[in-house]
Amino acid sequence: MTLEVKELTGGYGQVSVLKKETFTVESGQVVGLIGLNGAGKSTTIKHIIGLLNPRGGQILIDGVSLHDDVEKYRKKIAYVPEMPILYPELTLREHIEMTIMAYDLDHDKTWKNANELLKIFRLDNKLDWFPQNFSKGMKQKVMIVCAFMTDASLFIIDEPFTGLDPLAVNDLLNIVESKKKAGCSVLMSTHVLATVQDHADKFVLINHGQVRADGTLDQLKANFGMREDSNLDDIYIKMSNEDL
Amino acid sequence: MLKLWNERLRRHQLNQFKYLRLIFNDNFVLAFIVLIGALGFWYSNLLGTIHHQLVFGKPIVILLLFLTIQIGGVATLLEDPDSTFLLVKEKEFYKYFKAAKRYSSFMPIVTVALVNFLLSAFSSRGAGLRIVDIVVIAVGLIIYKLGSLNINLMEIYNQAKLGNVSMRIVSNVLLVISLIVSTYLFSWTMIVIAVIYYLFLNNQSKKLENSGQLQWDFAIETENQRMFRIKRFYNLFTDVPGVNSKIKRRKWLDGLFKPIKPVSNNTYLYLFARGFVRNNEYIGLFLRLTVIQAIMLVLIDNFYISLIVEMLFIYLVGFQLKPYFKEVMQNLMQRLYPIEGKTKISDFTKLSTIILSIQWFISALAIVYKFGLSMNSLIIIVAGLAVLIFVNYFYMPRQLKKYLD
Repeated sequence: MTLEVKELTGGYGQVSVLKKETFTVESGQVVGLIGLNGAGKSTTIKHIIGLLNPRGGQILIDGVSLHDDVEKYRKKIAYVPEMPILYPELTLREHIEMTIMAYDLDHDKTWKNANELLKIFRLDNKLDWFPQNFSKGMKQKVMIVCAFMTDASLFIIDEPFTGLDPLAVNDLLNIVESKKKAGCSVLMSTHVLATVQDHADKFVLINHGQVRADGTLDQLKANFGMREDSNLDDIYIKMSNEDL
Repeated sequence: MLKLWNERLRRHQLNQFKYLRLIFNDNFVLAFIVLIGALGFWYSNLLGTIHHQLVFGKPIVILLLFLTIQIGGVATLLEDPDSTFLLVKEKEFYKYFKAAKRYSSFMPIVTVALVNFLLSAFSSRGAGLRIVDIVVIAVGLIIYKLGSLNINLMEIYNQAKLGNVSMRIVSNVLLVISLIVSTYLFSWTMIVIAVIYYLFLNNQSKKLENSGQLQWDFAIETENQRMFRIKRFYNLFTDVPGVNSKIKRRKWLDGLFKPIKPVSNNTYLYLFARGFVRNNEYIGLFLRLTVIQAIMLVLIDNFYISLIVEMLFIYLVGFQLKPYFKEVMQNLMQRLYPIEGKTKISDFTKLSTIILSIQWFISALAIVYKFGLSMNSLIIIVAGLAVLIFVNYFYMPRQLKKYLD
């Protein structure tokens, strides 16, 4: 699975938030999307999952764009939004059933995956609960379960670490690791730099809707002219100071 | 404080006008006219059958008047942040509440007057009251209601107690007694008691200013609930933001979903069917309209009115289901599903066909009950079916397309 974002320009309404963004996510890679509030991380993600139409440029997953084949494109993506979005009138079990139907998944096999995930996140005894009974963190876990039980090959997670308890963060990272081993790719946006530094293979730094730099930690250090022992936090601060 | 009240009142009224305009622009107004017409028709028919005083005429009048007095309270227009930001101004809030009470007295006066006016025909025919008595009681009731608005304020200050008994209960008992005495014996009793009651409570509520017992949480909660009731009412006719309908599990109805096979094409039917059954708003709307329609069809013997009721109500249920589709389409996740818009619409029309068919079947039973197995029945039933087909196969698919993106 390869995600290619080429010269992507776009945003909401008349305002172009993104200006000619280009980066790629290769098979088996975990990529961190990093930037200040309002830099364009979520907008980039919304373009990739197809909620916004690009004004210029191209987004390809395995060479297929959303316009070439909507169904094929969408089935390759699983998305966990920053704010959990659930159907108020469906129970947890029905959310899983519905996802299986929507993505045309194998019923038994997917339920097996789902049950494992539910157990990890301690939701296995809450299958008949409605979203209104869940806390924010639990809703987020529901979203994670519904995303990671599918056989998508690109997982996009927006701000996964805020709102989850430390145990759940750890579990999520393990799941990401196993998906990576299975050859899937993961793109996640986050502000929790220490965590992403340890778990991502590559970073895309976004500033003012443009890719300021991308690559491994070492490549970034070289790019910003940083010392050998500096970390992602230092690079991040350096990038934000460039505006001044 | 008065400035704050006036500012809030202005904003509140603007909001109300906005919603009222939306309601009266809607097709729903048609239904109201027909409904009022049908009720008026029924009422005048009923009056026509009364030729002498009824034994339970007076009790009915007493009951209706008693219930009318329960309608309406003080609109305080308090907002959640008040309990944080305006806490220091607590003492001055008395003036604010006074102004609120003054504003809130308008609606009850109109309501009491209107109910008395409409009821007067029955009161004089069925309950044997003289016109003078009816007017005297009506005036007394208005004064009584104005007095009882003070209880709302006293509740906010946790002072609505007479000894150990709640003021509201005392007030209602007094009301029932005065109504009985003034309808059966001497109508001026109502006015005399109402004036004493009014003066007493007005005097009592003056003490509130220095009581320092304002129950912020209770007051705000009460106002929120009042607002919610109003908005929920508006929500029947138009979309009101911030009104989240209640969801109930209704496990015992799960059997209804059995026939929906878990295949990709049915994804949305799976969701829509569950949402419809569990979301109080939509199932409530369907039940309300279906029951009202059935009752009207059973009561009305005019062929043309029945025909209109049959067609209009089937159209209305279909029309009122549309917002549910819109609600679901606003969910971000569903837009990512690899499913075409066409399928979403056809799944929704499947559901609406089932719902309208149930309604059509029930109304058909009511029609057959009233008109028997006649040509008239057949015409009305077929007309209903025609509306059902029109709504599901022509109207719905076109309308729903708007909501897809």
